[in-house]
Amino acid sequence: MRSRGQRGHALLELAVSAAVMVSCLAGTVQFGYTFYIYNQLVTAVGNGGRYAAMRTYRAATPRDLEKGKAAIRNMVVYGDARPELNAPRQVANLNPEQVQVEWVLDESNRPAAVNVGIADYTVDAVFGIFHFTGRPAVEYPYLGRFAPAESER
Amino acid sequence: MRARQTANEQGFVLIAMSVALLVMLGVMGLAFDFGRIYIARNEAQVFTDAAAMSAASKLDGTDAGLERARQAVARLPMRWNLGTKSFTGVVVEFSADRKRWEQRPQAAAGMGFARVTAPDNQVEITFLRAIGGPDAFTVPAHSVAAAKPVRLVE
Repeated sequence: MRSRGQRGHALLELAVSAAVMVSCLAGTVQFGYTFYIYNQLVTAVGNGGRYAAMRTYRAATPRDLEKGKAAIRNMVVYGDARPELNAPRQVANLNPEQVQVEWVLDESNRPAAVNVGIADYTVDAVFGIFHFTGRPAVEYPYLGRFAPAESER
Repeated sequence: MRARQTANEQGFVLIAMSVALLVMLGVMGLAFDFGRIYIARNEAQVFTDAAAMSAASKLDGTDAGLERARQAVARLPMRWNLGTKSFTGVVVEFSADRKRWEQRPQAAAGMGFARVTAPDNQVEITFLRAIGGPDAFTVPAHSVAAAKPVRLVE
């Protein structure tokens, strides 16, 4: 039979070791999940950037420009410029409004490059929350067809 | 009756905790260090893809085109290490046949391929070094793009 003192010791040891272990486990889950999500964001933004670089630039009206940007945002979020209703997202809880698309225009107002990035994204990693603002982001040279007089369908 | 801890029992918790801590460091290392390594690798690959395409898009068979290609790569604003560090030591090379690569080719004519290498992306290891892992891990990346038409070929 164990004495009272020994029972107390065991309880104290369990409390200390459990606190250390739970902290380590929480940190592992928190950072592991956050890194997993960030890696997915990098891949999604990279794919969206490549799509944007090749896409025809149509700018008959400001609405056409917005439609083009919406297609690029959809590519980042859904992996498809025209996603089906309820299409699965590439990254959990990422919405098209959280993706920023900016054209870098040259002196003749033609697109020279395109910037695609995440404007603001929050990772809820159970034990903690991380915010990513303005990252990840990519810049690709614009290589698509320049058609300023054409309209988007 | 009052039981006493035997000599065998004394220190058991210390040993068990040490073993558990080593295992835990390994698990944390897998999640934290490998997580960062994978992200750095992905970031570097996305950067070299964009940089190679930028460089290839400037190739026009002239020396000025080669210079514009180098400048286009240097101008890219992309970063790594969770978007916090600039790429350093980036190498831009050109080739006519994808066999012989030169940073400063004598003749610009015929240079139809650009290769961009990001060699210096060194991720510092935090947890795995405690159980015998390296202090740092380098994750280089490279991409090759053709000029006509501009596309990634490697």
